Amino acid sequence: MRALPGKASRQPPGPKPVSRAASADDQRRRILEATADLIAEQGFAETTIEQIVRRARVGYATFYKHYVDKEEAFLALLDAALNRTAYVVEEAYDGESGPWPDKVGAGLGALLKLAAEHPSVARACLVEAPTAGPEAAARHEAMLKRFAPLLRPGRELNPRADKLPESLEETLAGGVLWVINQRLIAGEAEKLRALLPEALEFLLRPYVGEEVAAGEAAGPGRQVTSA
Amino acid sequence: MADEELGPLPAGRHGFSREQVAHNQRERLIAGLATAVAEKGYRATTITDITKQARVSRRVFYANFEGKEECFLAAFEIVVGHIRELAMEAAMPGDQWPARAVAAARAVLVFFAEEPDLARLCLVESQAAGPVVAARFHETVAEAVPYLEQGREERPEAQDLPPTTEDSTLGALVLLAGRKAAAGEAPQLEDVFPEFAEFILAPYIGAEDAAHVARAQAA
Repeated sequence: MRALPGKASRQPPGPKPVSRAASADDQRRRILEATADLIAEQGFAETTIEQIVRRARVGYATFYKHYVDKEEAFLALLDAALNRTAYVVEEAYDGESGPWPDKVGAGLGALLKLAAEHPSVARACLVEAPTAGPEAAARHEAMLKRFAPLLRPGRELNPRADKLPESLEETLAGGVLWVINQRLIAGEAEKLRALLPEALEFLLRPYVGEEVAAGEAAGPGRQVTSA
Repeated sequence: MADEELGPLPAGRHGFSREQVAHNQRERLIAGLATAVAEKGYRATTITDITKQARVSRRVFYANFEGKEECFLAAFEIVVGHIRELAMEAAMPGDQWPARAVAAARAVLVFFAEEPDLARLCLVESQAAGPVVAARFHETVAEAVPYLEQGREERPEAQDLPPTTEDSTLGALVLLAGRKAAAGEAPQLEDVFPEFAEFILAPYIGAEDAAHVARAQAA
């Protein structure tokens, strides 16, 4: 079974955890993993609690102990995935000591890697979240807003900074998510990492101009052919 | 058009053929769905809402559509077909590519600004209508890729643009328009036209020329 982002490392191999708290964590993790897989396979609307408890190998009572309904389970999944994604992307961005374009490259690379490693969760968050009602759609919106501050410093590099539209960062982030989305809809998660150079060029171009953007995109370590 | 107000058919001998009546019922159901979805959103809309709006029976609904999703898809295709025509008409064959591209984009934005309910149906509710419609939505947006790709002929540098340039550009703008429509700001979509025009053109003709063309076209 696929691990939920951020949860895998907390589950040591070997005997199952025995404490009640650990067991509750494990139940939640299994429920959310099952929710992600089922939603990725068949969509949010078609997914039932019965399918979730079967896939997660828990009883109905266990499901309802943690979540009121499938919406709440899905929102919990979205929150966990969004926090994990923001953490991984921001850590990669902050950890890169080079100039801003390199930081964006590091953050974008981490995003594509995470999505490639967890295609079900990525699909549930990107493809299905907008379909699952206003609260889930708001999570999707929050994801776009979370990435905007990482791109904004690029404005300092543009002599026409005052002419750039206020919405540029969210628009650019949307373009990248759209292309990730397309790969996930086509079932081509394995091709996600190879998007790095071109998605990076797309993100940098409005700030640093096309020549610099293309140069950065062609930089060492950016031509990832496959995972 | 899906949003046309269609009254009930007059009772009794109306002189319409059986086929005409059937066609009319289908159109009324599609218009009924568009109205219901505008009022309640796709998820909350029931078959009863649609048949009430259309003033036809459930039996007639199921004779025309397997369910809500198929009816929505029919409405979506009608609106998309209309938008496609508007964009084609706006892009005058004699014009240069930048002017054509920008005129087509403007026609789409003007339509969305004038028809906020249909903007919402196309851009927002289509995402809520299940995986089949969501995939169709992506395919529809991708139809514009070849028209945008013509911009690569504008100058040598544009030929080396990454293959996903068109998808990223269209996706970015479609998501932005969708977020505005979801926030009830579709009527203001016409105002973002210069922004859209510049964003579309910049990769192909360069940022400075794109800003210049966008300003000229917006004037």
